[in-house]
Amino acid sequence: MISFAPEDDQQIAMDLSRKFAAEAIRPHLRAWEQAGAVAPEGQAAFDALGLCALDLPESPAFGNADEAARRMTTLCLVHEELAFGDAGAAVALWAPHGATHAVAELADREQWDRLLPPLVHGPADSAGPLRGAVAYSERVPTGLFAGFSTLAVPQRNGYALSGRKSFVVNAGLADLTLVFAQINPDAGWDGFGVFAVTGRPGRREGMRVGERHGLLGLDTVTVGELIFEECFVPEEDRLRGGGAIGAAVQRYLARVQLVGAARQVGLSRAAYEYALSYTQDRRAFGKPVAHFQAIAFTLADMLMDVEAARWLLWRAAAVVDRGPLDRAACSLCAQAAAHANEAAWRTADNAVQLLGGAGYIQDFPVEKWLRDTRVLSLLSGADPLHHEFIAEAELGIPPTSLAGGLSYGLPGAALQAVLS
Amino acid sequence: MIDFELTQPQQLVKDFLQRLATTVIRPGSLAWDRDHKVPDEIIEKLADLRGGVSMGEVPAEYGGEGGGIGETRDKKGTSQKNRFAVLGAEELAWGDAGLLLNLPGPGLGAPPVHLLGTPEQKQRFFAVFDKPGLHWGAYGLTEPGAGSDVSGIRTSCKKDGKDWILNGRKCYITNGGRADWVVIFATVDPAQGRAGQRAFVVEKGTPGFSVGKIEEKMGLRASETAELVLDDVRVPEDNLLGGEARYQGKEGFVGAMQTFDSSRPMVAALGLGIARAAYEYARDFVRDNYLLTRPLPRYAQLAGMLADDARSLQAARLMIWRAAWMADEGIPNAKEASMSKAYAARVAMKVCRDAVQLMGAHGLLKENFVEKWYRDIKVFDIFEGTGQIQRIVISRRILREAPVF
Repeated sequence: MISFAPEDDQQIAMDLSRKFAAEAIRPHLRAWEQAGAVAPEGQAAFDALGLCALDLPESPAFGNADEAARRMTTLCLVHEELAFGDAGAAVALWAPHGATHAVAELADREQWDRLLPPLVHGPADSAGPLRGAVAYSERVPTGLFAGFSTLAVPQRNGYALSGRKSFVVNAGLADLTLVFAQINPDAGWDGFGVFAVTGRPGRREGMRVGERHGLLGLDTVTVGELIFEECFVPEEDRLRGGGAIGAAVQRYLARVQLVGAARQVGLSRAAYEYALSYTQDRRAFGKPVAHFQAIAFTLADMLMDVEAARWLLWRAAAVVDRGPLDRAACSLCAQAAAHANEAAWRTADNAVQLLGGAGYIQDFPVEKWLRDTRVLSLLSGADPLHHEFIAEAELGIPPTSLAGGLSYGLPGAALQAVLS
Repeated sequence: MIDFELTQPQQLVKDFLQRLATTVIRPGSLAWDRDHKVPDEIIEKLADLRGGVSMGEVPAEYGGEGGGIGETRDKKGTSQKNRFAVLGAEELAWGDAGLLLNLPGPGLGAPPVHLLGTPEQKQRFFAVFDKPGLHWGAYGLTEPGAGSDVSGIRTSCKKDGKDWILNGRKCYITNGGRADWVVIFATVDPAQGRAGQRAFVVEKGTPGFSVGKIEEKMGLRASETAELVLDDVRVPEDNLLGGEARYQGKEGFVGAMQTFDSSRPMVAALGLGIARAAYEYARDFVRDNYLLTRPLPRYAQLAGMLADDARSLQAARLMIWRAAWMADEGIPNAKEASMSKAYAARVAMKVCRDAVQLMGAHGLLKENFVEKWYRDIKVFDIFEGTGQIQRIVISRRILREAPVF
């Protein structure tokens, strides 16, 4: 039934997140940006909320099976509220828990029981949960060849990882890093695996931190490189994805897109509300600036951008919750991501514009959000890949960017042929 | 709950209307545009087949089918009327939006009669739709000198004994030339602004009430749009909607405006239907022609256009569904109704433009539907409140104080 009403448990999660965003995130957004990290007490306060438990299908966070069944939608509601406080802080606060959902999707039962509890609750002898990271992207352009450039060379009882991962959120700060690496270079996108590498870089043989990236935005988040030099990973730490690694990676990427879209919606709402308030207080030519038609119309367009992006995101999340995650559902996730990216960029840009000179200086948050949104949109996959996937699904033609039923973020053989 | 699946009755209605559009409507669509007319037998056939989708709602207590089509209350008893209406509107407009405006019924004349009329008046005016043959109602507000600025109407009404004398000119009236009656908005004194406005039902054949010209339009040519002339038209006081007691404040104006919260999402849905039709037509053309010689990555920009249009249509649909859901739930939705129209109209324009572009020269040929839809869609950012007026409505609701522009 067509309905836009969050359930009670969802409303509670939203209210909790909204309150935290207003009281514990927004006041600190500049300080944390300048420090390049959230303050430890901020992280502790966030962890104490227990929101990250929403990432796990079997979690005490859910009162019943129905709540668990709609968790993607609930997650999107929460991520919008947190990003409304500040997108950079929202990403940074969730980052230590960023591997949890990936492990949950990609692990089999034995690995689930072994690897998840320390990530969720912490090891028996420590103060808090382990921090996670996901090492997926590489500097090597994906168009050059099929597969990852980071290799996982089979050894006795395990694999030796060698290569360089870039754009890793929480690089160097994680106790457990999921690494996507190539086992069989001849099998292209059919030949990779996902490895749970435990231990911090520098304290783990064969893994060290490279440089931290200086980025256009999202400065609060640590994004950097990890270098692997014959780093041994035992066989039992290669995630077995319940036998269907391709489908598991597809679910992982769908979540990345939807969470990314939710953060963009939160960011765009923050920019809109800030500009709405500012332009009513700021006076020029004898009246509030908002009372000039060009400004009022821009504000109306910004609100429409925010809401349209949100409803499309909700639809994608509802479809993912309902299942199955087929091609149409994946296309909807890509649509939600692409639409939210555009809406956020335009809303943030309008917000800077509406504040005039003040929009450009760092006394006001809108310029930060205009920088943040650019980085956020790349974190959930490049728009050209979204476009290609959506268009293929719409045309009903065999995918050029799917390989053997695997996730669409990875260019397939036909695309390789075109690019080379 | 947050959910967007159609109920089974909704899916059945959608499928039924889609079949109707494909088998009965589309085959005649280009000819009606070319000839500027829909034959009566087609209108009669559709009026029988459409399963209760009427243009303008005749309330159940006055002989109509009440709200919308099929099962309109869900299990909790909440109305689904508006959601059904936008779903139905999208499918029928996918067929031919101009045709839809030809369907018999009170049209936009229904809401003012419903909201302002006395029980006797409602009985009298809605009764005509029970009679055999094709009958229409119409809504006469716009004038050559007053479109967006409704308070600027100059058609005058002057009490004369037990009658009123009306003088003036109305334009852009859908079905105005053949309606059994038209709701005409007139003013006792322009200086009083909205407080001076009155709503009358003027019946066809009343002396002095005549059709001026039938407009030649860019699009929606299957729909007849008329100019109406009122030359000392004598209207009995029984045809003043609601009687004089109704107009102590500014009821007339309020009556005119109140209809838009339900009608704007429906009009937006009509535009969405046209745009979706154009998008699908062009997409299928790309699939069946361009991909024979090169794979899609060699048409990266076309893929980008298709992807942008697909997601924009989805987003526009959801804006409309949101406004309709709020109306069904009884949540005040003036802002969302205006947003849905403003947003959908802009999206639809872009999609229709892209559809012509995607087909290249073929998109310009009259034998291809996208040429017609490109012409049809422009009016959707203009009638039922221009995009600019929608943005005034929206900004009045988001700002703390209403701006004076």
